[in-house]
Amino acid sequence: MDHGKKKDAPLKTADLLDSKCTRRSFLKGVSIAAAAGSAGLVTGGCGSVASSEEAKLKWDEFFKKNYRMMTQEEKDATVARLERLAKLQRGLDTRISTQEPLDNVLYGYAFNITRCKGYMDCVEACVQENNLDRQSKTQYIRIFEMDPGQLDPTSGDGKYYHEVPVEDKFYMGVQCFHCENAPCIKACPTKATWREPDGIVVVDYDWCIGCRYCMAACPYWGRRFNWGDPVVPKEEINTKQHYLGNRMRWKGVMEKCTFCVQRTRQGKLPACVDACPTGSRVFGNLLDPDSEIRFVLKNKKVFRFREELGTDPKFWYFMD
Amino acid sequence: MKILTLRFAFLLLPALMLLNSQLAIASQDSVLERIQAADQPFDNMQVESAHQLTVETVLAKESYQGGAFRVLARKDAISRYRCSVCHTKKTPQVRDGALITHGDIKINHGEGKNELGCIECHDRQDRDFLVDMEGQKIDFDHSYQLCGQCHFRPKRDWLGGAHGKRVNNWAGERVVMNCTSCHDPHSPAFKTKMPEAYSLPLEE
Repeated sequence: MDHGKKKDAPLKTADLLDSKCTRRSFLKGVSIAAAAGSAGLVTGGCGSVASSEEAKLKWDEFFKKNYRMMTQEEKDATVARLERLAKLQRGLDTRISTQEPLDNVLYGYAFNITRCKGYMDCVEACVQENNLDRQSKTQYIRIFEMDPGQLDPTSGDGKYYHEVPVEDKFYMGVQCFHCENAPCIKACPTKATWREPDGIVVVDYDWCIGCRYCMAACPYWGRRFNWGDPVVPKEEINTKQHYLGNRMRWKGVMEKCTFCVQRTRQGKLPACVDACPTGSRVFGNLLDPDSEIRFVLKNKKVFRFREELGTDPKFWYFMD
Repeated sequence: MKILTLRFAFLLLPALMLLNSQLAIASQDSVLERIQAADQPFDNMQVESAHQLTVETVLAKESYQGGAFRVLARKDAISRYRCSVCHTKKTPQVRDGALITHGDIKINHGEGKNELGCIECHDRQDRDFLVDMEGQKIDFDHSYQLCGQCHFRPKRDWLGGAHGKRVNNWAGERVVMNCTSCHDPHSPAFKTKMPEAYSLPLEE
């Protein structure tokens, strides 16, 4: 954003000097635009400059609907605007998908606490895939180093940094569990977060007001808040994005694990599953009796974290 | 009279609201109910974007609960395959010693008196193949047949999907990693290393 502004700055001053801009003519321009109710005319005030395209796009973005209320045309329009804005502001060719959920698919996840070695390849892959803020080190996944017999991550060490695995410890990963009966969804005052038909709990970043009620409501520490504008080096930005997933967020909005919606709806595994070198992470379609996740639920000892809360998470832990 | 009805209304209203919310919860099926109700196999091939895999695979000689599947090929990954190029009847020259011996391989597989030697898994006669305890030749691409002799529990889990992992996709044709994709067959245990990331302490 800063980059674009700096580039346009000299043009802007030159333009302003050339045009005879009085207070009256400025107000006239604005009032015409307001009367017409058209976003395109609002820059008809003074200083319609080189950045007017960006300003117009931002203005149009401001008046879009909640994602769930949009028609496909409206989705296409906002995607086109966002992609153009990414090009103007960051010089990046991004592809933002609005791919719908697949029919007869309900995503489920299982985590093998016997196999996990605490390498945290998953954490790193998640950061790269989902364009997480490098400055505040936002991470969707936390791995806890646990003592034998413990099953509650609060008793574990979530900030270890030494050679792993350590003998007589096991490792337990926590991320968004995509609850069927999710407390975060109920807590949201603006309906900016909801559960998709394929079971993924998503956030419409444009409708999030950053109140953090969902963060307080989640018993699993599944949500992350952007205290500042996320910083991601340009060459590290993942340009394959989804509107409800890893598109760029900004200061003051909530974000969370989306089971890599941009990947999973294309039949791919989430980045964490793909990156795991130990095969501790199992992902699949809960509605398919032949899937790996169903095999785990049927044949292994499984449990869910804080099941007694009635949140009905779609994330199981299992052991060999 | 008026006060009475008012009080009644006050009592009734929360009761109705409670009932309403109870109904709302009841009408929503839990995950477990939905899973139990789902007994029709999902057509994984309908997900077209999951079809492009550029890795070399072979059709597995065994099947999982959903039928046939593929495993990652192994032979491509063995730099000196075919073994019979060196392992011939021809007498090896001493000057080739450094080149053709396997001095780099340290076997750390099995403990104590159960520690494995080369010919426990490699065919003594035909070095292009592995051999199981019954003397059956096993192709390098199908090494799971060999490993599964001892590690039958991990193999059962691997067939079903609780051990090992799929390659790239959850949908599309099932392609899973081979035993040797993750485990070094000569030293199969995972090594210790530093974590890839560091997590900042939680605020609370």
